[in-house]
Amino acid sequence: MFQSFRLSMAWLHTWFGLTLGFVLMVVFFFGALSVFDREIDRWAVPQSRFEPQPIPSFDKILRPVFEQMQPTQEAIAEMAPRVNGPMPETYPVIERMGAYTTHRDPVLNLFIGFDVPNAKDPEEAIWAYRTIDPRNGASLPDDRLKIGSEFFYPLHYSLNLHWRDIGTWIVGSAALVMLAALVSGVVMHRKIFREFFTFRPGKTSQRSVLDLHNLTGVVALPFHFFFALTGLVIFAGIYFPVGHTQLDPLHEMSERLEAAETGLPHDRAGVAAPLASVDAMVADAQRRWHEKGMAGEVGFLTLQHVGDANGYVSVYRAGTDRIALTGEGIHYKAATGELLREDPAPGFVDNLNEFLTGLHLQHFRHWLLRWLYVLGGLTGCVCIATGFIFFVEKRKRQHAKQGIQGARLVDALAVTTVTGMVLAALGMLIANKLLPDSLPAGWPPRGDLEQYAFWGSWLLAFIHALARSGPVAAGRLSPAWAEQCRAIAVLAPLAVLLNWIITGDHLLRTLSALYWPVAGLDLCLLASAGVALLAAAKLKRRALAAPAIDTAKREAAHA
Amino acid sequence: MPEIMMLSVAMLASIAGMGWLALAMEAHWGQVFGPHAQRPRTIRGLRVGGGLALALSLGLCLGADHPSMAALVWIMTLAAGALAVAFTLSWRPGLLRVLLPGI
Amino acid sequence: MRITGHHPLWRIAAAVLGGYAFTWGFIALGMAGAFALGMSFHDAEHLTAIIGFLIYLVLFLWAFAARSLARVWAVTAGGALVMAGAASLIQHQLT
Repeated sequence: MFQSFRLSMAWLHTWFGLTLGFVLMVVFFFGALSVFDREIDRWAVPQSRFEPQPIPSFDKILRPVFEQMQPTQEAIAEMAPRVNGPMPETYPVIERMGAYTTHRDPVLNLFIGFDVPNAKDPEEAIWAYRTIDPRNGASLPDDRLKIGSEFFYPLHYSLNLHWRDIGTWIVGSAALVMLAALVSGVVMHRKIFREFFTFRPGKTSQRSVLDLHNLTGVVALPFHFFFALTGLVIFAGIYFPVGHTQLDPLHEMSERLEAAETGLPHDRAGVAAPLASVDAMVADAQRRWHEKGMAGEVGFLTLQHVGDANGYVSVYRAGTDRIALTGEGIHYKAATGELLREDPAPGFVDNLNEFLTGLHLQHFRHWLLRWLYVLGGLTGCVCIATGFIFFVEKRKRQHAKQGIQGARLVDALAVTTVTGMVLAALGMLIANKLLPDSLPAGWPPRGDLEQYAFWGSWLLAFIHALARSGPVAAGRLSPAWAEQCRAIAVLAPLAVLLNWIITGDHLLRTLSALYWPVAGLDLCLLASAGVALLAAAKLKRRALAAPAIDTAKREAAHA
Repeated sequence: MPEIMMLSVAMLASIAGMGWLALAMEAHWGQVFGPHAQRPRTIRGLRVGGGLALALSLGLCLGADHPSMAALVWIMTLAAGALAVAFTLSWRPGLLRVLLPGI
Repeated sequence: MRITGHHPLWRIAAAVLGGYAFTWGFIALGMAGAFALGMSFHDAEHLTAIIGFLIYLVLFLWAFAARSLARVWAVTAGGALVMAGAASLIQHQLT
């Protein structure tokens, strides 16, 4: 089919890059935002604007909250098809409960799983969640969507399409294609070292766009490669569920062996037992970490088989000083507080796997590296976007002559995934501030409305890009690019302004209090408005200059 | 040296190292100093200097953090340094003269 | 457009499906084999997944670069069957 290796790689790079590049834009852009997902949460949920807190006393603060928690009506309705007969009236047996936090979380996430005796899968529990203020145990309103960690972050690995994990599969294919595009890109690029630092904005737009595509692709190559690869590794269990299908019997056997080896009971004993002081267990775990010279904050605390003689408590360290998600879990008998087991030091494979997944999930405390990751993610966006523009620039004149709409459609989609995506995110932030604190009865939940604002803004951006793409079919620049840049320049400062009006936290206040989560997002919004204005001005100049060049060329050709 | 100082110097060393490696290339030398050719000795000196600066940057990263973290920080500062040098070359190439004050 | 033996769709199918099947086979055999040799199940799972994605990438590229598409299909599909079969055999022996 292809005359040479290089041509086969070029074909692959062009067509796979084009089709899955749109997905990759979403992944890279919202992945870059997810580096600061907790900070975006602070901006979106004003009740949670205080300093990060350690996990509070279980005995005094968490236990009373857990005792009040019950599954929601929605969760009960959602699980109903997966039980034999009706759902139970009450949920007295707690299978598992726990708390999870990071060094960037002021609020604390709690989860609890209740036993459902008549569930079709006896292992399945019904879950309830709550977000609390760890300083006093007060619950946050549960209709508040944490836009960063509950919307942008899952968007970047699942597109928030959950039906049969379809979104995760699409993102996975895009990640594989990213790896293939990087290798084939290196094969196609003839002067990888000679043009390592080369960007010539003064040359023709086709040339300068290709320069920028190569530059951003090559200098951040290790970042692009490892983030695509580690993203796949994190979800390996979804993409290759070998251990839960073909090798399930082997898996079951290994779990039984493991339970026997670790001494942590796999099932309940059926004998009721009280709960000893969890605070004492946590203090003991911290003392043991301290003796090993490790930072001693608790990141994850779980109770298994609650209220049963087989119950145990697991305390995990928050891995802030390593790339690996080191847990150093220590397990105690719930009834007595007696030490059951200390997880052994991880072996080679564990270390490798935790390094690879940890470098992507970034639980560490390192602000420079976080910002460098944002730079890497945005560099990826520039690389993909310039790929689209190069595709269009290379073909639009020819398509215009032949009357093909291909370049026009690709250009409209490129506008939608570059500026349109920013507009969608802004639409969501603005809706978050404009929606009243309590919604009228009968309205959808607040978080749902914010999501509609996101998808609605994106759809509008797409319609606008398509409607204004006419000039591309004539070989010229689409005015949609500049128009959407101007829209960003208006909406981004509007979000900052609304944050000021609604919450009272204007930049002078947040900056003087050094409250970076909110100040940082406000500053980034203003910066993107500035970049958008510059881009709009540049596009205007180019649009004015372009017809002149075309006429000059035509005249030269006629002469 | 406190961590923040080490990391700042590491970042600067990466930028300078990338800058010297770029100046070792004829085209970029020409962008900064005009079209007179470099001598082979200058080229070698720039390459060695560039390499040493990048190595210094790695050393500082290792001094500031656990090796697993330092490796990532270093690789990302290389990318940031290369981008900074490339964009300086395309908009204000004259600024790179600071890397060779004698010339 | 008629879909003949030379249509790009056949290459794409070989790359995506053939590559997936071969990688599945590799992961299954690697997990069962490493477990049989004494590695813990989850270690084997993680290690084979990391290597498996790199194998998938190589096969994906090879499916486009190879001169003979028939050979690509033979290696990917044949390899998948042999390795997945061997994995099930090992599992049968162990459990």
